Amino acid sequence: MNNNVRSYKAQKVLERMGKKLNRQMVGSLAACVHCGMCTDACHYVLANPGDVTYAPAYKADKIRKLFKRHFDWTGRVIPWWVSAKSVYTDDELEELKDTVFGKCTNCRRCSINCPMGVDYATFNRMARGLLVSVGVMPEGVAVVSKDQWEIGNQMGVLKEDYVDTLEWLSEEMEAEHSDPKATIPIDKMDADIVYSINPREVKYDPRTISDAALIFYAAGEDWTMPSEGWDMTNFGLFSGDDDLGGAVAKRLYDKVTELRGKTLVISECGHGYRSTRCEGPNWAKMNVDFVMESSVDTMLRYIKEGRIKVDKSKNTTPVTFHDSCNNARSCGLTEEPRELLNLVCSDFREMYPNRAENYCCTGGGGAMSMSEYTPQRLKSAKIKADQLKATGAEIVVTSCHNCVDGLADLIKHYKLGMQVTQLVNLVANALVIEKKVAVPVGEVPAEAEALAGRKILVIDDEPDIVTFISAILEDNGATVFKAYSGDEAIAIAQKEKPDMMTLDISMPGKSGIEVFEELRSLDDLKSIPVCIITGKPELRKLIYDRQVLPPEGYLDKPITEEGLLVNVRKILELVHEK
Amino acid sequence: MSESLKIGNTTFSLQIGDIADLEVDSFVFCAQNDLKLGSGFGTAITIRGGPSIQKELNDLAPIKTTEVVISSAGEMKSNYIIHAVGPMFMEEDTEGKLKKTVENILKKADEANISQVAFPAMCCGFYGVPLELSADITISTIAEYLKGQTAIKEISLWLLDTREYEPFQARFAALGQTVKEAL
Repeated sequence: MNNNVRSYKAQKVLERMGKKLNRQMVGSLAACVHCGMCTDACHYVLANPGDVTYAPAYKADKIRKLFKRHFDWTGRVIPWWVSAKSVYTDDELEELKDTVFGKCTNCRRCSINCPMGVDYATFNRMARGLLVSVGVMPEGVAVVSKDQWEIGNQMGVLKEDYVDTLEWLSEEMEAEHSDPKATIPIDKMDADIVYSINPREVKYDPRTISDAALIFYAAGEDWTMPSEGWDMTNFGLFSGDDDLGGAVAKRLYDKVTELRGKTLVISECGHGYRSTRCEGPNWAKMNVDFVMESSVDTMLRYIKEGRIKVDKSKNTTPVTFHDSCNNARSCGLTEEPRELLNLVCSDFREMYPNRAENYCCTGGGGAMSMSEYTPQRLKSAKIKADQLKATGAEIVVTSCHNCVDGLADLIKHYKLGMQVTQLVNLVANALVIEKKVAVPVGEVPAEAEALAGRKILVIDDEPDIVTFISAILEDNGATVFKAYSGDEAIAIAQKEKPDMMTLDISMPGKSGIEVFEELRSLDDLKSIPVCIITGKPELRKLIYDRQVLPPEGYLDKPITEEGLLVNVRKILELVHEK
Repeated sequence: MSESLKIGNTTFSLQIGDIADLEVDSFVFCAQNDLKLGSGFGTAITIRGGPSIQKELNDLAPIKTTEVVISSAGEMKSNYIIHAVGPMFMEEDTEGKLKKTVENILKKADEANISQVAFPAMCCGFYGVPLELSADITISTIAEYLKGQTAIKEISLWLLDTREYEPFQARFAALGQTVKEAL
């Protein structure tokens, strides 16, 4: 077939595999008896009945055959019986990539159903790491890994943008509560709590930061956020790169040590919690001598100790809870979020199955960064969609940022009409802050009037960004229409005739540049002002090269609330003056 | 955390910090063959420097492994960016290619009359070259180059964190000892 000539990369993969085989790995590689108990545990299988290539045992055999052929005596003596086979070509490595990255989210649901104790996700992760080490990986994995290696966080948020965001959130909170203590302290030494977050919070969801800050303030906590080493997520868990895992964890641990923090609180993120609290010390080869806990534990403790007061009548919409796989199956964090939910919500409805048996949000294992596998991810999400729908809840709560994205995407795809939120948002909303809350109430309506009566169309293929921009505009009184593609945008614009539009340039299918040109060429739409929003400033020139009127505004990602509002107001004022 | 020594007329130092945010004549970016800035330090260059840098690179791409090109640094604090394609992902002859890449960076800097060159941990992290190997080859190649004629006044190695700093510090200390003994 291949005359036993092995490509350089294939040879390196096999050489490196030998170094990765510890007792846990070998136990899982050797123990499978192909009983099929894992098959129905996998959401990919359930959504693709009849397609054996999704069965965990089948996927595992793609890796197992290499182990058998090169490291297990059975493969040397009776290779034909134990299906021992090697790998020779770069094409075979690409095929393996599509299996280990594209057909499994490493959710570990198959593991809890295995009578032999096979932990498929563990060696699937190993296989991912082997491929990454020779440069074979989905593009999104490369992008995110490089950002986290070199910038220090998964989303490439620069230090100045991170610090700016914290400062405006801090100023906002201080002004709202008219209290100089209502701030976000940065790099404060000897604080009782060092709070670490997911970069998604800075880039797309800063309200989770301000809500957490409000809770710390209400509890009278001595806390701080680090200016560097603040990312508690770890793409090494997803990419299988233990070196990245160790580097990221060490940066975080070193910073807490430098600040002499007593407890590291990890905001709500499943893989971040598992990576930081459970796996990180091993990857980083460090002893960690401070306490690490999930913010769910922190918030629950504050209520139990009477440090904050909550009123569950403030959260009356029916909610259900989605267990993050990493929190529930890998770390056992199942009861604390439910206890907290029942303290801050009046109508909690359990989802079935739940806790360690729960199905993956289908966005886990880094799946949200691998756009080439989106169709099969969304198809497999049917299982989760059915689970959500059966609860009858209007809001799904989860303690994981990855799950927020995965759930939001499938809710949109299956038109479930549900909202996704986190415990920190519900706790902050239920807070009873006597006296201090009463002061700024008079000011809120004035702020909310800024865009009152304005109709704004938000166009972006990323649901996170649409949600972020929409929330800011709606809070300021605007009526917002949302479009996730070019065609949808033009249809909505023609129907609703908005006062202005925000438009992302980089969208799959019809690009923002094409949409912009089309909008400008349609008589009924060409006078509607457009604010271009993009994460790729190098594309700016392409817009101005068009033979049409230039856009009325331009904003680079990451967007800040302040920057967005200034631009939107300016554009609307200019049009009004005309 | 930093240390330095003098070789000939050139100051050679070790620092911790963000290489893409320095007021320095030039800094090195570990590029890919297509010279697309991409993510990581590429994100920082794109955001802080503006779109002109990628545009300039598009006219220079592609380049081969060990080759080096210089671009302006747009609106960044530096004057130039030295884009160098080093070995990546355990490719064959990593050591030889890394040495050649570092040599080419220094030659190119001299040709362009660049007075300061800031290096990252060459090809480590995402590209997978082990820190110890990178430290050994980068530091020894720079030291060797500085024995000859050069107009470069300052060479600095910028490491991201203590994890990167420690292996470089060990190799740097050994070089310092050699330089002291040679005096």
